[in-house]
Amino acid sequence: MGYEWDFAIVFRDFDLLLLGLVNTLKVTGFALLFGVPLGLVLALARLYGVAIIRVPVGFVIEFLRSTPPIAQLFWFFFAMPLLLDIEIDPFEAAVITFSLQSSAFFAEVFRGGIASIDSGQWEASKALGMERNAQLRRIILPQAIKRMVPAFMERAIEVMKTTTLVGTISYADLLYEANSIAEETYRYLEVFTVAAGMYFVVIFICSMGVRHLEHYLGRTGEITTG
Amino acid sequence: MTNVLEIKKLSKSFGDLKVLDAIDLTVSKGSTVVIIGASGSGKSTLLRCVNFMEIPSAGQIVLQGDLIGSGTGESMSYSDSELAKMRARVGMVFQHFNLFPHMTVKQNVMEGPRTVLKCNTAECERRADRYLEKVGLGWKADAYPSHLSGGQQQRVAIARALAMEPEVMLFDEATSALDPELVGEVLQTMKELADDGMTMLIVTHELGFAYTVADRVLFLSEGKILEQGDPEAVLINPKQEATKNFLRGHGSFRLPEPNLD
Repeated sequence: MGYEWDFAIVFRDFDLLLLGLVNTLKVTGFALLFGVPLGLVLALARLYGVAIIRVPVGFVIEFLRSTPPIAQLFWFFFAMPLLLDIEIDPFEAAVITFSLQSSAFFAEVFRGGIASIDSGQWEASKALGMERNAQLRRIILPQAIKRMVPAFMERAIEVMKTTTLVGTISYADLLYEANSIAEETYRYLEVFTVAAGMYFVVIFICSMGVRHLEHYLGRTGEITTG
Repeated sequence: MTNVLEIKKLSKSFGDLKVLDAIDLTVSKGSTVVIIGASGSGKSTLLRCVNFMEIPSAGQIVLQGDLIGSGTGESMSYSDSELAKMRARVGMVFQHFNLFPHMTVKQNVMEGPRTVLKCNTAECERRADRYLEKVGLGWKADAYPSHLSGGQQQRVAIARALAMEPEVMLFDEATSALDPELVGEVLQTMKELADDGMTMLIVTHELGFAYTVADRVLFLSEGKILEQGDPEAVLINPKQEATKNFLRGHGSFRLPEPNLD
């Protein structure tokens, strides 16, 4: 025993941690902003594309899902600029990586959600004279998305946690800032405890929000929510 | 009388299995045609070919004088948009209702007019109110389908199809998934439609209904129309052995007239 906790040091530099948190949220937010729609496009391509589209898209999805995100991050930050002769900053590399990486997972969530919709829904909307786009937009996706909310949240949280890798390319996210403060002050215990707590608070609040959302979406009664 | 629907030499195969074999059928305006037959006789497939839920392998469908698709009878080709337009003119009611669970009853009925016919909101609402009233469910307009009984759901499905103001209605075993005590309300709704002069093509196992409502009954066996005529001729005085067997099976357990006073 004998360790004296001293959170004062942490809170002196709390603005840095907050800045880090904002950066974490920025990367996460952009990754979701691009990753979710891209995931939908990939899912539709894999489900309904002609073979010449379907097969490569399936390969890309599997490739993104089966390679470590840190390898992807390094590739986009270090390798791609060499290949294309461009400059890229850590933020851009992070957004590209996590958009693509999460889109592969979101594609699978979308695909599962769409496939889970009863074929009678396709039939009934088809019989009314709807074409595929209208069927998807009006009938299938609204129901599929409802069922996907828990899986989406799961993935979104996963994305936020995975963004901690951006520290490795010197992007000042929450964990990166925590690490610098800890190295300066040697207050590893306090700093990382607070940083972990901050991740927890953000993710916990989101989870609660989603639970309410699920409850709200469940009001029509066709799906049960835990 | 004008023909709403003409089916010419319609055949359908699934792989090597020939389900429909050169069916010819004409449905005149305002008539109610009931198709009966054992399961596997092709009656649902016939109905589903009429609005191209299944694409026929050969043959032609003519709706109010419009030949659907192009080509000769042996090989027809169809465009997606042409088929969608055709389906909008034909109402279909399914065994399992298939209401849209994320929409209220009223939204279900408004969906076709809104999305397919591009009616304005006032017109969509007018149709929804009118046809929900017709099936006796105006009071459930704001409920979600999961809160309705099976019979009520099926009546909403009928209203949803009617809201497209179709030229012909198809009923694919519309009461087969219902608890026995709910069958009556749906059959009653269908009978009222027939009485109103709606052109209807109905696949059903409810022979009493067929007897009461049909103008014409077809007995389908192995993908062919084996026997057809008015209900009296087919259901009471069948000529074909297969029809007699089918009716025997249906009549094995029957109540004498129950005393309901």
